[in-house]
Amino acid sequence: MYEAVRPRDATVSRLALTVGEYGYDGLIVRATPEDLETVTAQAAAVPQPVGIGLELNPTDRQEASGAVGHYRSACDLLLVRGGTPDLNRFAVEDPRVDVLTAPMAKQGDVNHVIAAAAADNGVAIELNLAPVLRASGGRRVQAIRSRRKLIELLEDADAPWVTSADAADHLQMRAPRDLIALGEVIGVGADAIETGLTTWGRLLERSQRRQDPTVIEPGVYHGRPEDRT
Amino acid sequence: MKHLPKHLQPRWRYLAVEIETHPKEDISRDAFQTALWQAARALVGDAGSATIGLTVVRFRQYDGGNEAVVRCYRGTVDRARAVIACVDRVGSTPIGVRVRGTSGTIRACEEKYLGRAHVKTEERTVVFDGEERTAVVRPPRVDLREGSTYVGATDLDFQHE
Repeated sequence: MYEAVRPRDATVSRLALTVGEYGYDGLIVRATPEDLETVTAQAAAVPQPVGIGLELNPTDRQEASGAVGHYRSACDLLLVRGGTPDLNRFAVEDPRVDVLTAPMAKQGDVNHVIAAAAADNGVAIELNLAPVLRASGGRRVQAIRSRRKLIELLEDADAPWVTSADAADHLQMRAPRDLIALGEVIGVGADAIETGLTTWGRLLERSQRRQDPTVIEPGVYHGRPEDRT
Repeated sequence: MKHLPKHLQPRWRYLAVEIETHPKEDISRDAFQTALWQAARALVGDAGSATIGLTVVRFRQYDGGNEAVVRCYRGTVDRARAVIACVDRVGSTPIGVRVRGTSGTIRACEEKYLGRAHVKTEERTVVFDGEERTAVVRPPRVDLREGSTYVGATDLDFQHE
């Protein structure tokens, strides 16, 4: 199981230490184009498996499209932050994108069309537990409702999803078992959270396979067959 | 009052909870209990809170953190975990919480999961990003002072210096 953290008030190594103590197998570090270099350098020193997830925060489709092409090869996972129906639609229709994050934030919404497109293109949608863990009152009620809706659509469309507590420092991190228990209480189901936490690792593997220089296209490799495991 | 016959006594489970804070933040047992009840009320409501229980039965501060034993009724451990995960601050102090494990008795809970060897903390000046900074060091953790709060780091961040 992996957790996707945001190194804002803690360094990558501190988050990695906590991730290890809490029982995760590794971590995905969310970087922005501005701090990508620092984050990559910090991540290199960490003993756990680390993936760099570059999170783009575009305002519209044009900006997103340019940035996706520009940054695709600079990171392990390419994350696009949603927030409007149009951006959400854009992200799931581009197979170069790995994850659509925060699809329900701001004016964002997800429908069956987006879920189906995500399933077709192998783009995972994020089930972000941050507002469930750290917001209160009406905002939290809406967040829980939207997360239930999201998981229902994703399960129906058989689309992949990832889960995260979206921690900005080591104190905001929560253990996988605690998140799984929370999932059951808020009505998205324990299995949904567990699947979401494992999917990060699957995406990372997929990305490493795709960026492997010996891969020409799926099923076609450069080199001797016996060298491949 | 005479105690209840054995078969009518409530059955408890005890959760060993680790509470991490920024350096030099003190949280009291009462404050943690209040935060826990508030979180329970927000997540599962009054009826749900009564079903789970959630009383802090042990609370201990040590250098660099706190640990507690929280009691809940048998069969509600998962809900209790969910509530504990939702406690993100005590008063205005941000905290990190984790359930280390659960047991059927307070004693087993303490022996199995709590009271590990704690590392001594010390204050030091370190160089981070080419700048001298005050830090609270508790190997391998290093908390860098930044204004009124702290940035978490580890000794791995300083090896190249």
